[in-house]
Amino acid sequence: MNNRVRELRAQHGWSQADLAERLDVSRQTVNAIETGKYDPSLPLAFRIAKLFRLSIESIFAPGKE
Amino acid sequence: MTRFSNKQYGQRAMLAMAIYIVLLLTLLPYARRAEHLSLQILCALLPLVPIFYVIWLMAKRIWLSDELEQRLHLIGLGAATAVVAVFTLVSGFLAVAKVLSLDTAAVILIWVFPLLMLVYAGVRAWAARRYGSDAFCEDDGIPMYLRFLIGAGLLSIVAVWAYFHSADDFDLGLLVGLAAALALGASILLLRRWRSRRSGGTEA
Repeated sequence: MNNRVRELRAQHGWSQADLAERLDVSRQTVNAIETGKYDPSLPLAFRIAKLFRLSIESIFAPGKE
Repeated sequence: MTRFSNKQYGQRAMLAMAIYIVLLLTLLPYARRAEHLSLQILCALLPLVPIFYVIWLMAKRIWLSDELEQRLHLIGLGAATAVVAVFTLVSGFLAVAKVLSLDTAAVILIWVFPLLMLVYAGVRAWAARRYGSDAFCEDDGIPMYLRFLIGAGLLSIVAVWAYFHSADDFDLGLLVGLAAALALGASILLLRRWRSRRSGGTEA
């Protein structure tokens, strides 16, 4: 799955640790999501979308199968 | 409840393990010699109190982990459970067949928990690397090389103590070997850290 989390985080001027604190997850998890190594669960994807005030589909898009 | 940082967890677990070793060295030798059964039981089981604390710490840490961390814990614990199950089954059957003595089987039981922790930590670190993080250089915890060094130091203390309390050659060799392996691991991690910093990496 592709996502715009890194780009959105940069727009807000947040570090990975800042975003991790806002989402109540570890920095390791933020890094794994940004690099596409881990796809977040639906509740976490909703939290990310809510934080950036965007829809889930505008942040996450299906990648190549 | 707030999440545990790696540093908080590491410090508390290490303190508990240090207390465990002190209790083990001071109380266990008296467990066989104590006159009353109640005193024997107390001396044999008191060293377990810090271990129970570490188990509680681990449970709390896993409970408060996020979804990726819980997945990593599950992978680590699953692999560790499988390895320990094979280890204990093989030992048990060998003891039933009288290839191993009951004393040896009892000593093997003492190594179940350390083996569980070792496999769990190793597999968890491997899985964390697959998700893009370096579990050997956690940025908010005690550096892994330092943990290895502390472990080597503690085992060396136990080895010296064992030497002066007429431990058998196997036990002494095992302790010295483990301490040396940890010291070697610490050296490799320290070298890796130095090379990473030299090449401009951000390893903590």
